[in-house]
Amino acid sequence: MVSLTRQQAPRRDFALLWHQIRYEQLSFWRNPQAAFFTFLFPVVIITIFGALFRDASGSSYFYGLSALQYYVPTIAVLSVLGACYSQLAIVLSTRRENGILKRVRATPLPAWTYFLGLLAHCIMISAVDVALITGIGAAFGTPLPTHWPAIALALVLGAASFCALGVAVASLIRNSEAAPAVVQLVLFPLVFISGSYMPIHSDMLNRISGALPVRPFNLALTGPFAQHSGFDWKDLGVLLAWGAAGTLIAVRRFRWDPRPE
Amino acid sequence: MAANRPDQATHVTAAATLTEAATPTGPGADAVVVAGLRKSYGAVQAARGTSFTVQHGEIFALLGPNGAGKTTTLEILEGFRARDAGRVEVLGLDPGDRSNGRALRERIGLVLQDIAVEPYLTVRETIARNAGYYSAPHDVDEVIALTGLAGQARQKVRALSGGQKRRLDLALGLIGAPELLFLDEPTTGFDPNARRDAWQIIRGLRGQGTTIVLTTHYMEEAQALADRVAVISGGQIVAEGTPATIGGRDTARARIRFALPAGYTAADLPADSGPTGAVSAGGLVTVETAEPTRILHQLTGWALRYGMVLDQLTVDRPSLEDIYLRLTGHDEPGHTTERNPW
Repeated sequence: MVSLTRQQAPRRDFALLWHQIRYEQLSFWRNPQAAFFTFLFPVVIITIFGALFRDASGSSYFYGLSALQYYVPTIAVLSVLGACYSQLAIVLSTRRENGILKRVRATPLPAWTYFLGLLAHCIMISAVDVALITGIGAAFGTPLPTHWPAIALALVLGAASFCALGVAVASLIRNSEAAPAVVQLVLFPLVFISGSYMPIHSDMLNRISGALPVRPFNLALTGPFAQHSGFDWKDLGVLLAWGAAGTLIAVRRFRWDPRPE
Repeated sequence: MAANRPDQATHVTAAATLTEAATPTGPGADAVVVAGLRKSYGAVQAARGTSFTVQHGEIFALLGPNGAGKTTTLEILEGFRARDAGRVEVLGLDPGDRSNGRALRERIGLVLQDIAVEPYLTVRETIARNAGYYSAPHDVDEVIALTGLAGQARQKVRALSGGQKRRLDLALGLIGAPELLFLDEPTTGFDPNARRDAWQIIRGLRGQGTTIVLTTHYMEEAQALADRVAVISGGQIVAEGTPATIGGRDTARARIRFALPAGYTAADLPADSGPTGAVSAGGLVTVETAEPTRILHQLTGWALRYGMVLDQLTVDRPSLEDIYLRLTGHDEPGHTTERNPW
């Protein structure tokens, strides 16, 4: 009897996780705004860059890559930031303010299942986003990458780290109306100095942004995408450290209740 | 207890639509025990030694003005807030102990004060999602039917009216087949018909053995639903009892009221039937008495003898609201009465 219960428990936990992921997906695709902005923005950017740079060949300005070889991975990273960091920070602070998180807390759904469900949901959305951008890049003549395992690892690790940072930001801001502004305020300069929109040829700036989370993610994805290199352990390590820091803040500071005690 | 439930038989049908009956923990054990509960927010004492118990299978109502500590007490029972001192047991578990969280939430249901439901799922999807969180939930369609949402099952939540969203909230509180259901002001904002429908559902749940703890502002609601009520004021329970007997309602002196016939003064009334207090501006006389039968006989005999009519004649006892206002320090005698037609 006891062993039977033990065998069934993990299966039930897994089924519960899958149940949760399905409903997160359903809510996401039903919300036209979320679905639209998560996909539209990076797709528009890569299409514009594609139209601008389709015939440009490799140049030293893009570290020997063609402009599109440079931009496909950085815009892919941008889309993951939107799907993970921005989405989670905004969705969670809105759900908290509306009292929806408190209702979740009132059910027997374990907190870890709730967050793992969100994480899996965000990684799935990120994968669709990255596939879309890679496809558009290919349509403009960018060669497809070959080192898929390194791309998959960088994608999952980067998505997870930015999910953790999104939850951390949602834990630190109390007001859901301020959430989009705070999210953009942090993200825009960070993305800019990390070379997402244009290569940065400043050693000092690169050293700074190399220790922040966006540039390592760019590098970890650009290697296997465009330079036929494999796992970029140093940058993956920096990403992991940021993910761990975000998780720590989230675990300590996350609130379900709209009214602080 | 049965004497307070004249309506129970009528609601067996409503109860029967939910197939699974809740199972109490054990005979004799109370569903909720609160003893010497204390909770402060800075200088504000929301609970100052609150104590009460709720028995299995009863509807228990917490009455009290805003800021009296009703919601704080409820949120401590629900495990949302930590207490400063005192003993709290919910279905035999301490809600303040985080390791009990999941086990407790399997067995309790809650409907919080504010409506909060995600807008983009349909009614059925929302309920089905929450059903998946419990190990032995009610059937989704049965709960939809019970809460009167059958016509909206395929509608998106954001298209629902306020009352329908509130019913969805109730459906989410019920879906886990709770042994104990907390309802924080469940019918605020309902029209009278919707309120009566909600009462019907709540009585049906009690008929199945579900214990219900609710807070309300409506004395009518406490009177109609509750087996027992407790009045909370300034973070303490100031009275506890059945709606019929709380605050000495059953033993309080009866009030006879009537309009003084034109041309007569209070001095003309029979000796025993003199007014308690002054005659009101509108000529209304109030007689408080422990012997309403004899005094009424005397008054009506007096009126018939002189061929007069006692206009606006009523006989009543203090309403639950009168008692409530007295207990919470807002006594306004003579304004709120419950007509008791003889």
